[in-house]
Amino acid sequence: MTAEAIQNPKAGDGVRHSLRTQVLENRPVNLDGFVEEWPEVGMVAMDSPFDPQPSVRVENGVIVEMDGVERADFDFIDQFIADKAISAEVAEQAMALSAQDIARMLVDPAVTRQEVIAVTNGLTPAKLLAVAKNLNIVEIMMGMQKMRARRTPANQGHCTSARDNPLQVACDAAEASIRGFSEVETTLGVVRYAPLVAMAQQIGSQVGTGGPLTQCALEEATELDLGMRGITGYAETISVYGTEPVFVDGDDTPWSKAFLAGAYASRGIKMRFTSGTGSEVQMGNAQGKSMLYLEIRCILIAKGAGVQGLQNGSISCIGVPGAVPAGIRAVAAENLIASSVDLECASGNDQSFSHSPMRRTARLMPQMMPGTDFVCSGYSTMPNYDDMFAGSNLDSDDYDDFNTIQRDLQIDGGLRHVKESEILAVRTRAAQALQAVFRYLDLPPITDAEIDTAVYADGSKELIPRDVLEDLKGAQQVMDRNVTGLDLVKALEATGFSDVAENLLAVLRQRVSGDLLQTSAILTKDLQPLSAVNDANDYAGPGTGYRPSGARWEEMKKLRHVTSASNPEVEVE
Amino acid sequence: MTQPTLDPAVDYPLSVHRRDLLFTPTGKSIDDITIEAVVSGDIQATDLRITPDTLRLQAQVSEKAGRKQLGANLRRAAEMTAISDSRVLEIYNALRPNASTKAELEAIAEELRTQYDANLLAELVLEAADVYERRDILATGE
Repeated sequence: MTAEAIQNPKAGDGVRHSLRTQVLENRPVNLDGFVEEWPEVGMVAMDSPFDPQPSVRVENGVIVEMDGVERADFDFIDQFIADKAISAEVAEQAMALSAQDIARMLVDPAVTRQEVIAVTNGLTPAKLLAVAKNLNIVEIMMGMQKMRARRTPANQGHCTSARDNPLQVACDAAEASIRGFSEVETTLGVVRYAPLVAMAQQIGSQVGTGGPLTQCALEEATELDLGMRGITGYAETISVYGTEPVFVDGDDTPWSKAFLAGAYASRGIKMRFTSGTGSEVQMGNAQGKSMLYLEIRCILIAKGAGVQGLQNGSISCIGVPGAVPAGIRAVAAENLIASSVDLECASGNDQSFSHSPMRRTARLMPQMMPGTDFVCSGYSTMPNYDDMFAGSNLDSDDYDDFNTIQRDLQIDGGLRHVKESEILAVRTRAAQALQAVFRYLDLPPITDAEIDTAVYADGSKELIPRDVLEDLKGAQQVMDRNVTGLDLVKALEATGFSDVAENLLAVLRQRVSGDLLQTSAILTKDLQPLSAVNDANDYAGPGTGYRPSGARWEEMKKLRHVTSASNPEVEVE
Repeated sequence: MTQPTLDPAVDYPLSVHRRDLLFTPTGKSIDDITIEAVVSGDIQATDLRITPDTLRLQAQVSEKAGRKQLGANLRRAAEMTAISDSRVLEIYNALRPNASTKAELEAIAEELRTQYDANLLAELVLEAADVYERRDILATGE
């Protein structure tokens, strides 16, 4: 949603301008779009005069009034939240606290995460908004540091190809795995390519260290189908919205989504919902409410549905909050509120946001500095042009910068620098594994020349084009023959990729245990479940909580070029 | 079957600490899911599914960790394991706005209750029927 080059309003206006003005006019930030606040249509970040005032009334254990609306007048979102997300037993007591006091609890290290959640369990959307309005950006980060559900931060990558080339996706997924991503996600230009690309991602991600969970963002029913087959490992693009008309336009209700949440869990598949500030404005029905107020309603729908987590932080609508005053503060606040109601938060930074490198970095810091469950809910592991989610705020070109920022500030964004030789080795192995599986399953062949090109490529522009029609027939075959994740395990084992087969089977085995259904679950490099249950955030002020140390900190110290202390003539390996 | 009482601090991850409790829908132990068994065909795709018992164990873990709603979702999921993939998708589609009449949703709730013993799911569908009626997003009928 970044604006196209806007006509320079000062050029040719017959007025004499300074050279400095010209320099500033030419800065990339002036290609971004900015607009005045316009509360009537919801173009306001977190402070609309039409936002409701917080209130709650409970009768006989039922919430009968919420944020100034009587139960008889509740829209379906109000009712879902009042009946399922808010604890009626504690609501009146929690709502009696002032918004400022609750905001202070979020920031105060002496108040534990559990104590905060005991209060947020009883808060209405308008009250949570009032709490957020008390917090500046540093306080939001302080809050996130404590409220993030999983103690150890992690990151998620996008693995897509502008040509939907499965080989590229396999190579980039393998590289993503060795670089540290805990989840990788793909989507398609041509949707019919999905089975092959999702397979490629599933196989590539389990080469080398293994462990990352995969998903393929598609329309709900198809996404569930691929998940049920074991070709993907989790699901994320289950969108919810903050106004009733927009929800209906999306052809869903909180109840249909809650049913879908159960459907994924019933097949042992991890799932999170998706929402974000700006979506209701973009879909033309914000009812005059601020973006953050509507997003808080989405967060509470996710909580009420019993889904373990949420991808938020504006996501595909980042241009909307990005254009208004305090918009990026509101985006950080929505992540914080998701974490504060005890949901996993995959915190955005996943779409092209700004032409300005400074602004891109500033937009990242409120998540990267405190750490979130997934700092990016889609770091592009390819060049920007290959990202079929409409780019990302961070791309493969940014790896070295990202790793340097981790090292500079000693903050953990989940990634690490890896030597080129190791990267080429896993890319090669992933490509060969995919070639072998395609051959084993009688899918369109992958040549050695294609592999050589893909292993050494940066993006799809350098690849040998695939025969798309043949690939699409192959993709249909995968669906018709009902190829499952287990078939991939067999194919890998039969073709000499036993280590990859073992990793993939370990991931599939997790759906029998259900351990990944708990909040904020990932698999470690040793393929062990790590979630908010066995890795609960224990931040309690200075000297406590997660801090990069030991082997992880040593790993983070490595960059592409670091001069040796013992011999300044050489660089550290 | 009575469920064992779990202590999340000790028993989670179940796949690490309580493998004795984990079975496939066909009654095999999680330890039987090996590469050899996959290759020989002893383990099929139908084995790689979670059982209602395991979902209720995980619900217990969620609830003991203070996550009431997540626990409730896992208990609904436990009921849903008995329903085929295609029927799950059909019911999901029936719950979309303006997709079903009230009578159709009530029939689904009845089916859930009688055929699948899925009382929690039936309750969810009946709630939807009520709200959809009040908010005028039921199908207008044939």
